[in-house]
Amino acid sequence: MSTFSIVSGRRLLIAAVFAACFVSGPAVAGMLQDTIARYTAEVTSADKGFTGFSAERGRMLFFSRPATGKPDTPSCTSCHSDSPVTVGQTRAGKEIAPMALSRTPDRYTESKKLAKWFRRNCKSVLGRVCTAMEKGDFLTFMATQ
Amino acid sequence: MTRVWDLPLRLFHWAMVVAVVVAAITGFLTPEWWLDLHSVAGYALGVLLAFRLVWGVFGSPYSRFRSFPLKLSDLHQHLISVLHRTPRIFVGHNPAGAWMIVVLLFLLVALVITGVLALGGRENLGPLAFVTVYQIGNISREVHEIAALGLLWAVAIHLLGVFVDTRIFKHPVLAVMMIGNKMSSDKRANGPDGTHTARGAVWFASITGLLIVVGVAMASVTPSGWRNIQTPADYVAECGDCHDAYHPSLRTAAAWRSVMNGLENHYGEDASLDEGTIADIRAYLVENHAGTFDTEVANRIGRIDTPSFRMTDVRRWKKQHRDINESVYRLKSVGSKVNCQGCHKDAESGRFDDDKIHLPSGDKS
Ligand code: HEC
Ligand code: HEC
Ligand code: HEC
Repeated sequence: MSTFSIVSGRRLLIAAVFAACFVSGPAVAGMLQDTIARYTAEVTSADKGFTGFSAERGRMLFFSRPATGKPDTPSCTSCHSDSPVTVGQTRAGKEIAPMALSRTPDRYTESKKLAKWFRRNCKSVLGRVCTAMEKGDFLTFMATQ
Repeated sequence: MTRVWDLPLRLFHWAMVVAVVVAAITGFLTPEWWLDLHSVAGYALGVLLAFRLVWGVFGSPYSRFRSFPLKLSDLHQHLISVLHRTPRIFVGHNPAGAWMIVVLLFLLVALVITGVLALGGRENLGPLAFVTVYQIGNISREVHEIAALGLLWAVAIHLLGVFVDTRIFKHPVLAVMMIGNKMSSDKRANGPDGTHTARGAVWFASITGLLIVVGVAMASVTPSGWRNIQTPADYVAECGDCHDAYHPSLRTAAAWRSVMNGLENHYGEDASLDEGTIADIRAYLVENHAGTFDTEVANRIGRIDTPSFRMTDVRRWKKQHRDINESVYRLKSVGSKVNCQGCHKDAESGRFDDDKIHLPSGDKS
């Protein structure tokens, strides 16, 4: 840990994601890492004191019940089930594969798809778009699940 | 002892009994998804009847329609003699029996024709699907139902006649229809012989072969009310995540425009897309709207506008699904009433055939 303390938060995060992704396959890991790097760039450009995404904040976003969006969808868990590792269900009844990267390894790989669903689901649940910080936290949480 | 009924005629009679029983059970009693078996029974009846009509001209003497005592005065006389319990014995049909056969054959032919028209017009299936529009299919189905009830009555009267003949007048008509012989003093009667069996077999094989070849050829022509359309990959990807991507023939062009223009507020959710994708999908849906299909689902549900743009708010939809228990929709394999594909295995194609309905529990509740 002492060697890591001198490198920036960003490098640390990349290293951590890299390590996590040794388990789930290098190709997928590379893309998620790129995505997280993009969000990191977005966040640091606004906030110089940024020290990295937090899986704990991501967990809170997933389990919280903001209910500031549309009435039928008070929480991410309304559709994604009460656990990142179990199958969810849309309001129209279709199954949603688990959100945890360990369960659905091909998640978070298509940037267009990712952007679309963050836009839709954040609007439905929070009533606004999610910040780059929230998205980075969420992905970091899912990568560790 | 005279042989009255040739072997081909007797085989025809009993084969027809089987076909009618199967058609009646699958028509009156079982749910719509038994249409497959019902159609098979109907086609079998069609072949049998075609043979019977030909045999009525070229068959053995008592099989020929010319030999039927159909004069109304004969019928009158016969009925009076029955009431006096002194009926004359006829070698072939008696006048009442002959009329009965005419009525039965007429109803059966009408049933086969209206059945094929209903199948072609409503379901876009079978030999006449390529020429029959939905409305004709619909009217044919009404006539089919009336004729089917008519047939029930006719069969009942026919059986009553057989009962009266056997029990009251001790004519062994059932045995005669099985074995073909009848005691008779009619010396002019020259009944069928072995050559009739051979001729009947040749006729039957030719008629069956011809009808199958022509029927299959006609059935493979593209149906008039339904066409196979190429579904753009975009559409399935963007509209198939939350529920299955609906076939365009399920809504009107106006409804599709409204749905596509209101995706930010889509039944309580944000289903927004970028403008380019919206335009592509809208163009596809509007081009193939319900008015461009002549299927049952397009006529009955697709073309009916609702304020919510939902097909599940169409009165007819509610009526067709009112027997389904709410719990069925919540089954894993269905999920919700808007997932048509969960029960209609061909929903994606827009056909909604009766025989592709599959309730997950296997039953209606
Ligand atoms: C109304 C139901 C619903 C709610 C509420 C919801 N989601 Fe989703 N989400 C979906 C569906 C459906 C998909 C796409 C299906 C899939 O990817 O398997 C999806 C996909 C996603 C994806 C993309 C996954 C990928 O593989 O790229 C992310 C990220 C996501 N959701 C995050 C969230 C977050 C964060 C919340 C809470 C703020 C949330 N969702 C709330 C239904 C929902
Ligand atoms: C984010 C999820 C989501 C997406 C994406 C989505 N829908 Fe829906 N759709 C719904 C929900 C939820 C309902 C209502 C379900 C219910 O009442 O059970 C619905 C209902 C519908 C209905 C009415 C069904 C009925 O009740 O008859 C139509 C039509 C429809 N959607 C069309 C579309 C089209 C076209 C698209 C693609 C542009 C699309 N949907 C994409 C969630 C979605
Ligand atoms: C839970 C299963 C289920 C779902 C989901 C379902 N249906 Fe059906 N549907 C049935 C059954 C069962 C019948 C036959 C009812 C009967 O005739 O007794 C039927 C009948 C129909 C018919 C009439 C077919 C005919 O030939 O009589 C149409 C049209 C139809 N459904 C359309 C739809 C559409 C459109 C949807 C989606 C919005 C849908 N259904 C969803 C089970 C379902």
